[in-house]
Amino acid sequence: MVVSILGSQIIGIIPLGDIVFYMTSFNLFMFAAALAFTFIIAISKTETQVEAEFGSLGDREIKVAKKEFKFRRFLAIICGLATAGAMVTGDIFDFTLFVCLIGIVNIGIVGAVKQIDVLDSAFQYGLIAMIASTPLFVGASLILAATGTISILAINSLTYTTPMMLFGSILLFLGVAGETGVAPFFATKAEMFRTPGSPFLLIIHLSSLLVIVRVIEILLIINKPF
Amino acid sequence: MNLMLNILLNVIIAFLIGTILIGLQRKIMARIQGRPGPPIIQHLLHTLKFFIKESAFPKTAAMPFYVAITAMLFVIWVAAVIDGPVTEGSLLLIFAIYTIQKIGEHNAGSSSGSPYGKMSCVRAVYSAAAEVPLFAVLIIIYLKAGTMNISSIINYQSIHGPLLFTIPLAAIMFFVLILSKSQYSPFAITKGKDIVSGYETEHFGLLRGYLMISESIAWYMLLWVFLTVFIGPLSLPAYLIGMVVLSTIVAFINAVTPILNPNHSVMMQVSLAFIGIAGSIVLLMI
Repeated sequence: MVVSILGSQIIGIIPLGDIVFYMTSFNLFMFAAALAFTFIIAISKTETQVEAEFGSLGDREIKVAKKEFKFRRFLAIICGLATAGAMVTGDIFDFTLFVCLIGIVNIGIVGAVKQIDVLDSAFQYGLIAMIASTPLFVGASLILAATGTISILAINSLTYTTPMMLFGSILLFLGVAGETGVAPFFATKAEMFRTPGSPFLLIIHLSSLLVIVRVIEILLIINKPF
Repeated sequence: MNLMLNILLNVIIAFLIGTILIGLQRKIMARIQGRPGPPIIQHLLHTLKFFIKESAFPKTAAMPFYVAITAMLFVIWVAAVIDGPVTEGSLLLIFAIYTIQKIGEHNAGSSSGSPYGKMSCVRAVYSAAAEVPLFAVLIIIYLKAGTMNISSIINYQSIHGPLLFTIPLAAIMFFVLILSKSQYSPFAITKGKDIVSGYETEHFGLLRGYLMISESIAWYMLLWVFLTVFIGPLSLPAYLIGMVVLSTIVAFINAVTPILNPNHSVMMQVSLAFIGIAGSIVLLMI
């Protein structure tokens, strides 16, 4: 049977017990992009930030210490894998778990940095991410309550949208926006990017953007306007 | 036609037309400002020149990440050409490609260790928060046409007429996105001259060449998406005329407006995106 999602044909389904991954060209591209970036992060060194020294003509170099480097690289790889998983999962509950994991490791990636501004920013982002986990899971629960399933493929075959599904979708979107720190919450997160460790910062930004694109796909599947 | 040949041909066309349009834009801007301006082929010549220049690598760079990011940026825009003009596939995929190119801007800047690149990186994070909602205006197209497949959207328009007239706010918002990606635009905060060349500052030789090719293909693709999803089935000459007209309008705007402060730039784009999405939904419900 040919199944299409938002006009794109499903290329394949990987059933792992209750967990079902599905792939359209869109999901496959984002999955491959997340894995490719994760691989590059895993093999890269960090940059050395060069800043002008105050009161002299010298330069100041800011490097990432080896211990900190190992810790942040590990979390960045976990974040990359969680992002890749969130791109292909066919299960709303799994998606919310992946998003939560991304939020936690994002804080961890900058949590090891010894810069007060960056830590303040990470703390504020952490508060928002924690608060956002409530609407995230409540949204997924309401969608389950309204449809009787958390399978995106099963919801795709439904021909109706109820007000409860719409309400659940709004909560899900708010949860994802808070967890990933996008607008209007981006102000708390942008300061985190001032720290050195370019490859690790990439995954923080990449995970946020890819998850937002994926949640838009999920919300369009749940809410059918016609 | 053979698929590989089709892809190669479309990538070359995207690069050549994109680079000439960027040159045209600079020429028009210069004439408006009372300067003779560079030749229209200047951007093309610059791009080719970088491929025969020596490639230097900063000793502070995050290797091999610093090199890989330019290749990734090039690859994702080639993917956009494949999904767009070649196969007329998913509009959602082009949205994904657009978000990933923000990663390219972000990390091309931060991977060198330069303070200018770092500033551009932070600005890329800010601008992503504004540009992604603008691109999300394409959801309105789904609400109207009932599909995210580009060929189906073209078919829809051939029956019901151009979407430009039925969802004009969405078209305006997408135009603002195009404007924000153009050189010297009021929203081009990642490449403001106050930070030299932004994220491109520390990329030299071959790497800079790839960044410039990506820039040309990106410009072509944004114009192609606008013309395809808002005007509909067009012939090749009509595409060319449409792209020249859009580039000219952008050049007029850029020639007479200064670059905005990053915070103002982001807030203005987010406000426009909100007006675009909310206004379009209201228009659809009426």
